[in-house]
Amino acid sequence: MSKTVKIVIWLVVIVIVIAIGASLSKKGSNPDTGTGPIKIGFIGPLTGDTAGIGENVRAAVEVARDEINAAGGVNKRQVEVIFEDGQCDPKAAANAGNKLVSVDKVVAIIGGLCSSETLAVAPIAEQAKVPLISDASTNPKITDAGDYIFRFVPSDLFQGKFDAEYIMNTMKKSKVGILYCLSDWCTGIKDVFKQNFASSGTVVDEEGYQQDARDLRSQITKIKAAKPDVIYFLGYSEASIVGLKQLQELGVKTPIFGGDAWDDVKIAEGAGKAANGAMFSVTASSKYPQSFIDAMTVKKADKELNNYSGRGYDILKVLADIIGRVGVDSTKIKDELYKVKDYQGIGDTYTLDAKGDLATANYSVKKFQDSKIVLVQ
Amino acid sequence: MNIIPQIVANSLIAGSIYALIALGFNLVYGATRFVNMVPGALAAIGGYTVFFLFNRLGLNIYFSVIAGVVVAGFFGYLSDRLVFRKLRSHKASNLVSFVASLGIFTMLQALISILFTSQFQSVLSVTENPKTYQILGATFTWVQGLIFITSIAAFVSLALILKKTSFGKAVRAVSDDEEVSKIIGINTNRLISWIFFIGSCLIGLSGIFIGFDIGINPTMGLFIILEGATASIIGGIGNVYGGFLGAFLLGFVENFGILKIPGEWKPAIAFGLLILFLIFKPEGIMNKKK
Repeated sequence: MSKTVKIVIWLVVIVIVIAIGASLSKKGSNPDTGTGPIKIGFIGPLTGDTAGIGENVRAAVEVARDEINAAGGVNKRQVEVIFEDGQCDPKAAANAGNKLVSVDKVVAIIGGLCSSETLAVAPIAEQAKVPLISDASTNPKITDAGDYIFRFVPSDLFQGKFDAEYIMNTMKKSKVGILYCLSDWCTGIKDVFKQNFASSGTVVDEEGYQQDARDLRSQITKIKAAKPDVIYFLGYSEASIVGLKQLQELGVKTPIFGGDAWDDVKIAEGAGKAANGAMFSVTASSKYPQSFIDAMTVKKADKELNNYSGRGYDILKVLADIIGRVGVDSTKIKDELYKVKDYQGIGDTYTLDAKGDLATANYSVKKFQDSKIVLVQ
Repeated sequence: MNIIPQIVANSLIAGSIYALIALGFNLVYGATRFVNMVPGALAAIGGYTVFFLFNRLGLNIYFSVIAGVVVAGFFGYLSDRLVFRKLRSHKASNLVSFVASLGIFTMLQALISILFTSQFQSVLSVTENPKTYQILGATFTWVQGLIFITSIAAFVSLALILKKTSFGKAVRAVSDDEEVSKIIGINTNRLISWIFFIGSCLIGLSGIFIGFDIGINPTMGLFIILEGATASIIGGIGNVYGGFLGAFLLGFVENFGILKIPGEWKPAIAFGLLILFLIFKPEGIMNKKK
């Protein structure tokens, strides 16, 4: 090999090494070029468990996007939302997160919806310094999931406590049987509930099931035999439909109380009369404005809008507002998110604390009645 | 309250569903000797056919069920005619056949998602309270009773067909050795297509029952194949009688396993049993050691 060829090869190698090094060191800095649409990611279940809620939030985010773009976009740039299916599953959500961060190079991500999705995407978003703002994940662990991780929904530290107090003080029940799925959301809220319930009540039986299990009969049989005076049933839509039916088939007459994932009209329709009277807590939301309801109808969303769709809508509106002020630098966006205070959205009024969580939470209690969801009180 | 009768009922309900799956799965496995994923998708096809005819079009339920079974059977037949028969003539390895079946499985599943969305759907109307029966303190619905009776009936008639008819003899011959069967003049290709049809009908029926009892979604098939294969391995893979026994054994172990320990252990127990069998009795209950 001649000397010149050697030198050329070495030069090529050096250039490649520098290029790789430069591209690596660029990681984390903002890849946005300042032209073309502003890309925002979305992760939520569009298929699989609890896809009904995911589709609903997707429609709400589309409504917000269309409104922003119709009003001229942000800094004269259109907003593009890239929707990815997290399937309410950590693996699928992590894949979606990686794609959004490294292929699409989004400025921020709305989602995930299920707690397991958010917990799986959090390290990816944190490492890439892309703000991740969940619309519905309530697991307490998300509080400490990272500097770039936010949520526009209160932690289960609030909900588990509210549920325990509601069952003890309002329903006046002291013996609870717990039926819960093995997912981050179910186990998180179950633990908080138990801590708070232990003060003046007893947990007579506690039975878990796989998130995708569809035969809960033996678990229900055991809970029934333990004679609780209330059943705390945590599950996503599909297992809940089946579980509510099986509770009825097995002749369980005990009152049933569930968590906020039950705010899905699919459960009311799917379980029908079997769900009658089953109650659940859900973050109190203001009544949606008619313009939003109309826009959602055009998007063919469910007739009864759940609690999270408004939150998804609000997140995109807040992001658009922040990007309009500070541009697309993700660190600046993150800093601005911590400053959100008393933001009056359509779903709630949001104030974020130093951990990126909502500072306060209000709940209301709803119940299923003849294939509909109605407010209790 | 004594919960044993209810747990027995729960085990029988689960076992009956597994039994129908295992019957179909083993019938096809016995003739072709590779793990076929297609039946999983056929269960979903059976369930969705009934959903479409009964819920969407409002047709008679008995007609819908029969149509669902036949459609599932037909797709099974088609999968053999268009794909597996060609692979057999190439003498393709089991791995190739398995991968092909995985491809068909995924394709059919995607097709169902496109046509019916991937949402979970309830087949039977839930506006009325289901009629329940009580025996010795165990409660079950009429659908669950029907599932149990049907699985027993399917088993008995399949066993009679295999024992008494010349068709059954031919099926057993092919299961023993396809090459030799060919030599003694059995049209093995046509026979295997028939086996596919009958096995797929049984699997389709199980999918329909799952739809009635629980509900359907396009990805239900993977669970069905897993449970069917587990029951078959425990009972003796390729052995129709063994699969039936294995199915009920699986149902009982799963449900009685969590009698004293929390319910989250259910799948761990079921697959623990599978691993025990694979280690200590890989040929299953009914097959003879080779």
